[in-house]
Amino acid sequence: MGERVPQHIQNQIIRKFCEINNLEYSLSASEYAMKDSYLMLEEIINEKSNLDGIVFYSLFQLPENKIYRNNIYKNIIKRKKKIFFSVENYKLSKKNDILELEEIWDVKSILPNCYKGF
Amino acid sequence: MSSYLDKKDIQLSKNFFKKGFIIRKVSDLKSLKTLRAAIVNSLCKSLKIKMKKEKDFDKFLNEVHEIIKIKNLNDVRLNILNSINSSSEFHKKYFEVSKDLLFSLVGNELAMQTRVNLSIQLPDDSSSLLPVHSDIWSGDSPFEVVVWIPLVNCYSSKTMYILKPENYKKIHTQFKKYAGKNSSDFFKNIKKNVEWINIKFGEILIFNQSLPHGNIINSEKETRWSLNCRFKSLYSPYGDKKIGEFFKPITIRAASKIGMNYSLPNLKK
Repeated sequence: MGERVPQHIQNQIIRKFCEINNLEYSLSASEYAMKDSYLMLEEIINEKSNLDGIVFYSLFQLPENKIYRNNIYKNIIKRKKKIFFSVENYKLSKKNDILELEEIWDVKSILPNCYKGF
Repeated sequence: MSSYLDKKDIQLSKNFFKKGFIIRKVSDLKSLKTLRAAIVNSLCKSLKIKMKKEKDFDKFLNEVHEIIKIKNLNDVRLNILNSINSSSEFHKKYFEVSKDLLFSLVGNELAMQTRVNLSIQLPDDSSSLLPVHSDIWSGDSPFEVVVWIPLVNCYSSKTMYILKPENYKKIHTQFKKYAGKNSSDFFKNIKKNVEWINIKFGEILIFNQSLPHGNIINSEKETRWSLNCRFKSLYSPYGDKKIGEFFKPITIRAASKIGMNYSLPNLKK
């Protein structure tokens, strides 16, 4: 969605988020830079590790494609993991959480078509 | 102005344009009392004292400076803020208290600030001052309004001030004369033209945050307690404070949901 914050700043925010929310920060992962790449994300979600969840810098790092994004939510819930979004301070761990996140995505997606001037 | 607005809305809008704010009695007093009880409950927990009875809330809040020291004030404030902002019910009640006015002035598909703010201004405390400013100058969108809810009666220096709209035009066109000066110089210049908000518990203030406003040292003998939260039309322009990180959608309507999720059928294989 055209957002860019330097990676080391993203890591600082994520670390702080973990500290405030009593989450153990175990490893940092960076997505490949190619457009629409989610290879690293898929790797982390699907690996049979001891990870309880994933902390994203922002909700808007998820895939822009709604179907793909919903598959990620479902996969996370199915695997009894959690995802957190530091900037927005949201958490997804159950089906009901999807609606709230998707409302924000829906609004964000149509804002480029709304009045912009001031 | 659209002639399709009903008389009540037109009158309300006229007042809002003219004064830069409106004050009304809260129609949903029960929700307002719930908000105040949540604050008192959290305050008592933070101070490790027994919860007060509702009939004593007013006196307790007004006289809290007798048990809170200025150096501990920010910790107390943060404890309360974390408590109220972790409750979606608190946010919902906040909206309900202001709903009718918001629907009239802003619209019925709304975004609400994700964190409600709390001001506690102890008598003679210079550490909780908000120098004169317009929220737009620090990244808010001019499409937002602030819903300001007093938890005690606010008056004289135990309140906030706002520059009258009729005086803002001149300030706006002559703003370059403040280059190199500070906000105190600016306030000195506008002081005679600001309105000091006189508001009681049980009333609600909605103001135009693009107008310069702020507060001064509370020189009354009581502590000021007030909440504030921004609302805007969901699809109006955002400033630096974006949807998701600062605002959340709270009243998306069915037609918008259908539209947002609609895509034309695809004829390509």
